[in-house]
Amino acid sequence: MNRPVRIDGYAPISDYAAIGDGRTVALVARDGAIDWLCLPDLDSASTFGALLDADRGGRFLLQPDAPFESARRYVRGTNVLETTLTTATGSVRVTDAMTLPTSGLAPHRELVRRIEGVSGEVSVRWSVQPRFSYGAVAPRMDVRAGVPVAASGRDAVGVLSFGAGDAVRRDGGIDGRFVARAGSTACLVLTASHQEPLVLPPRAEVEARLEETVRHWREWSDGREYDGPWTDAVLRSALALKLLVFAPSGAIAAAATTSLPEEIGGERNWDYRYSWPRDSAFMLRALLALGCGREARAFFSWLLHASQLTHPEVRVLYRLNGAVDAAEESLPLAGYRGSSPVRVGNGAATQTQLDVYGELLDAAAELARFERGLDRDHARRLAGVVDHVCNVWRQPDAGIWEVRSDPAHFTQSKMMCAVALDRAVALADDGALRGDTARWRRERARIGAFVETNCYSEAGRSYVRSSDEDVLDASLLLAVLGRYDEPRSPRLLGTVDAVRRDLATGPLVRRYVGTDGLAGEEGAFLACSFWLVEAYARQRRLDAAEELMDELVGLANDVGLYAEEIDPASGEFLGNFPQGLSHLALVNAAAAIAEARA
Amino acid sequence: MIWGAIVGGLAGTVVLTTLLRAASELGLTRMDIPFLLGTAVTVDRVRAKAAGYALHFLFGLVFALVYFAVFAVIDRSGFLLGAVFGLVHALFAGSALVNILLPVVHPRMGTTFDAAGSAPLLEPPGFLLRNYGRRTLVVTLIAHVAYGAIVGGFVRLAG
Repeated sequence: MNRPVRIDGYAPISDYAAIGDGRTVALVARDGAIDWLCLPDLDSASTFGALLDADRGGRFLLQPDAPFESARRYVRGTNVLETTLTTATGSVRVTDAMTLPTSGLAPHRELVRRIEGVSGEVSVRWSVQPRFSYGAVAPRMDVRAGVPVAASGRDAVGVLSFGAGDAVRRDGGIDGRFVARAGSTACLVLTASHQEPLVLPPRAEVEARLEETVRHWREWSDGREYDGPWTDAVLRSALALKLLVFAPSGAIAAAATTSLPEEIGGERNWDYRYSWPRDSAFMLRALLALGCGREARAFFSWLLHASQLTHPEVRVLYRLNGAVDAAEESLPLAGYRGSSPVRVGNGAATQTQLDVYGELLDAAAELARFERGLDRDHARRLAGVVDHVCNVWRQPDAGIWEVRSDPAHFTQSKMMCAVALDRAVALADDGALRGDTARWRRERARIGAFVETNCYSEAGRSYVRSSDEDVLDASLLLAVLGRYDEPRSPRLLGTVDAVRRDLATGPLVRRYVGTDGLAGEEGAFLACSFWLVEAYARQRRLDAAEELMDELVGLANDVGLYAEEIDPASGEFLGNFPQGLSHLALVNAAAAIAEARA
Repeated sequence: MIWGAIVGGLAGTVVLTTLLRAASELGLTRMDIPFLLGTAVTVDRVRAKAAGYALHFLFGLVFALVYFAVFAVIDRSGFLLGAVFGLVHALFAGSALVNILLPVVHPRMGTTFDAAGSAPLLEPPGFLLRNYGRRTLVVTLIAHVAYGAIVGGFVRLAG
């Protein structure tokens, strides 16, 4: 039980838990406020955006009138959150969920907050302050069929109070208060519409949908097949990843937020509500390890469908609906704890990043192994991509970290081009892919010669960041994970040791120490830490892998979620949240250890 | 001549539906006629949209036949007269048809007298449909004037 804190109106990133419905995600703070919700979809403009501007962003407050402490957990096996708020006079349990449209005429989107009196009496106040279009638009307030409604253009939200006091319209908000007594149950419902009239549901249907939502998540969790170590952490990661799956298309968002900073007060603030093909191999491995064959197939199909228009080039990122436009702009918001600019869109979309081809072909190989072959149309497209790799691998690129400095010959990019050709040749040998395999083998050998000649430091006994920079980069761990070479080859063993030695602070690994074209510094990148675990496991260094894994699992927040980064000095979460790549890397690291143990 | 009304009714409804949908995409209105009509017969959203489109086209035909009857009585037709009919039609739709009559026959349409009860309610449209966005009336007027002009034009052509 902790007393929630805020700094200048902002909760620590680790104080958030995520709830969602496969279309959008809300972030619930430990103090009961919902500070982030984009409607109708994850990549739409925010309706609650206090996460990025505590004054103008809008939020859904729900908390006791008196000082309180809070404790919370997810309802077992679900993405439904339970927060217990305790005051000197009693306690209440708040159940938060984005319900699934399981029965009846459900609202377009529905956020349910059920408040149960657990003990004593607690005076509770709530306030819904919707701010459409990232806070740019003041809503028009009105009443429909007795329900207060806020509307703007094509969007509207209504607030239904069932036993939670009268809803009162105030300046730009809808407020209420009530006393929760032991045994009492109240319910607040945010019903949202987009390009249609609002649906105002009755309480019985809301409660039924909430129960069905819990049952749905449980059934999904029970269907997961993972049976290895760190089961709880893996299952929570699976549920977090499922929140990031955009159900209408099968795309998987990198994170649920934009512009949570990699450095407090800094400019490293990016929009991660896009799908990165790069994550495809990690995603496929994780989904298959979890027994999510359906999601794996859907994601791969979405990926090839989305990249159809740019074929044979694969873009760095795509919108969740498969579109390629992601023009970057800054919003007039204060930013999380003054971290500006707040960006929407992502300028990395137009970068060249060659490593994506290795991850794509690795994903194809994983799926082919699972499905015992590849769809003929997919195979034809992939062969075109492989030929493209043969044509472009000599080019400099922006690398996996999407640096904004000049393009360079990044080692990991070249290695992943080699991995692409390795997988293509293997798939061709198995009859799953047809193409000019003699050329593929020839170019593979040339890439290998380039990397071994230009990208290895005898002095450091490791591969280096690029052919021009004799420094380390944690992305080199992916050479082990992607099987660029034998995992226990002397050069890869040396590289893994060097990453631990030079980039790690305790269990936390930084991405790199070179230039990236941006001011300031960032925290340690959690995915890199889990990659180090997986690299150890694949190199059969199990003691080191397990020890590091134990430490990293202990760094999750109280509900098992991770952001993109952690500040090694303060332990504070940094970057977008919850971060898919962190959870993917956790699942794959645990699965690698389980596989190595078997 | 009646074929002109039938073809005009179908073509006019296509244009009317497209204009309303475009206005919705442009953020000018939350009016969704297929959704409003379809949820009168089912709570399943997908089926509601499908049924709503079918009903909307049926009503489009019925109104075209009403236009045709009036054209026949006054022995005049044409796209300009049709446009005037469309204007009247839109005002009737906004003030009485959707605002008063639809809530009476729609089992899930809320009224100003309703509070949340045992069944889901649809947000009522309000006078001149303003609840669905302040520009909804303008959009509705334009769409119905286009519909009326097309029906009137086709009736004239067929005549």
